[in-house]
Amino acid sequence: MTLAPATRAAPAPAPPPPKARRAAHLRRRLAPYVFVAPFIALFAAFSIYPMLFTLRLSFTDWRGSGTAQWVGWGNYTYLLGSEAFWSSLGNSAMLWLLVVPVQMVLALLIAVCLNNAKLRLRGVYRVSYLVPFVTPLVAVAQIWVVLFDQDYGAVNQILSVVGLPDVGWLTTTTWAKPTLALLFIWKTTGFIVVILLSGLQSLDETLYEAAEIDGAGTLRKLWSLTVPLIRRTLAFAGVMQTLAVFQMFAEPFVVTQGGPYNSTTTAGFLLYKHINQADLGTGAANSFLLVVVVMLLSLLFVRLLRSED
Amino acid sequence: MNPSRRTVASIGAHTFLGAVLVLSLAPVVWAVVSAFRPPTEIVSHPLGLNLSTLTLENFRRVLDDVPLVQGFVNTAIVLVSKGTLTLLLAPLAAFAFAKYRFAGRGVLFGAVLVTLMLPTIVLIIPLLLQMKELGWVNTYQALILPGAVDAFAIFWMRQVIAEIPDELLDAARIDGCGEFGIFARVVMPLIRPALAGLGVLTVMNIYNDFVWPVVVANSERMATLQVVLSTLAQNITGNRIGADYATVTGELLAAASLAMLPLVIIFIALQRYFVNGILAGSVKG
Repeated sequence: MTLAPATRAAPAPAPPPPKARRAAHLRRRLAPYVFVAPFIALFAAFSIYPMLFTLRLSFTDWRGSGTAQWVGWGNYTYLLGSEAFWSSLGNSAMLWLLVVPVQMVLALLIAVCLNNAKLRLRGVYRVSYLVPFVTPLVAVAQIWVVLFDQDYGAVNQILSVVGLPDVGWLTTTTWAKPTLALLFIWKTTGFIVVILLSGLQSLDETLYEAAEIDGAGTLRKLWSLTVPLIRRTLAFAGVMQTLAVFQMFAEPFVVTQGGPYNSTTTAGFLLYKHINQADLGTGAANSFLLVVVVMLLSLLFVRLLRSED
Repeated sequence: MNPSRRTVASIGAHTFLGAVLVLSLAPVVWAVVSAFRPPTEIVSHPLGLNLSTLTLENFRRVLDDVPLVQGFVNTAIVLVSKGTLTLLLAPLAAFAFAKYRFAGRGVLFGAVLVTLMLPTIVLIIPLLLQMKELGWVNTYQALILPGAVDAFAIFWMRQVIAEIPDELLDAARIDGCGEFGIFARVVMPLIRPALAGLGVLTVMNIYNDFVWPVVVANSERMATLQVVLSTLAQNITGNRIGADYATVTGELLAAASLAMLPLVIIFIALQRYFVNGILAGSVKG
């Protein structure tokens, strides 16, 4: 960001009379309240209130109608002992493994290649990589369903040309997760590339020249220089994607409905299932457990980052 | 590096970048091209292309079957009003968070961070009950007001505004500028790149949002584009009487293409602002 230098050469104007100064001072003290007021009104009505409502709900057995019984920590202990809860976390953890490491490496390689100002077609590449990011998920998820259809899909068609057998991409427990992971990687990598580029642009060229004189190769420079230097940006992107993967709902909703055999019932999708079965109290408790998990994971990232400082 | 090694490296980079480019665009291009093919051909030869049989049949049928035009109109109305609210209120609140001390600042900003971590689906039930009580189900205000000031927008704008030197704001004060004047005439122009980035991101989020709209605006008159699209998607699983797989697939691809194109075109036109905005307003390496 470019900032105009503050002008301070002009002689200071005569100090305003005390009364006017007091008024200005008062205005300055009141201003922030006025500025946050519209935000607070909307935030309190449509974020804080529903959040507290959900919190209260999580201690009841309410099913959407009738009177609610207070059940204390009942929903929480039920979930912690239920298979569905742990398997949804397991599914999300598996998706995380399939998505985040692959995507980080891929995005870093792309960003490093694009960071070269002399690269031809740089703008074309950058726009193309962001096209998946701006396409509506509902549209793309449907394209995925059609492309990966076992009998009529283009992907199996390509495989058969190479002589490989059909794969039940969305119908087998082995392949449903990788197929969803692929959709997620395809859709969001372009955005991660832009975020990493923002970290790369602030790096000091002379460090690289020094490393080259010392005979460091491309990979060595990438691993020993670039990665440590942009680790804050990498961690930011990592936290963002971890949140997104554990909250993932729309992808399984449109593509697999959580199946086959719950293999794509992610932590986020399980919330929807509780809601859909009118198990509102359990759903509310589940969402707060998920918040705890997500917070712990974010803290872990921040820790990893600090320990290297 | 000597020239021949540099050439090898450059060929390598272009091969890699080119392959990623093809994979990024292929599904979109395939869907748009296939939307112009007869449904039976899409199913029997998904990768074929017979120029002589290209048709508008899929588009015609989907426009007859579902209220796609009304969906576009609804999306446009929500987009303009909700987008304006976000782009005005988020920087204003973020300015207060970044540059003033006031009672409750820490607690309030903590609450913003918590909502960032809360899965949006959690709030759906209480919000829906709230809308029922207000009588707002299937209204524009239900689509516009919840989520109009997004926690991420506040968080991001606060980061950006915090980087503006305080001396600049004090200088404006000495020149007799009021507090709102400082916001409108000093802060807003300075954060323009990040604001443009937020603008593109906001437009995208509103245009693509579907979970909340599906729940709160499912009537034919109020359905947004994404709601129409996801209703159509449920047909592919075969609930619709008399429609075969091929026909529905054709309609689906036509609808998906129509829904994707406006945003992709807007984005390509504005991508410079978007990329520069993110570059201007993100965490420093």
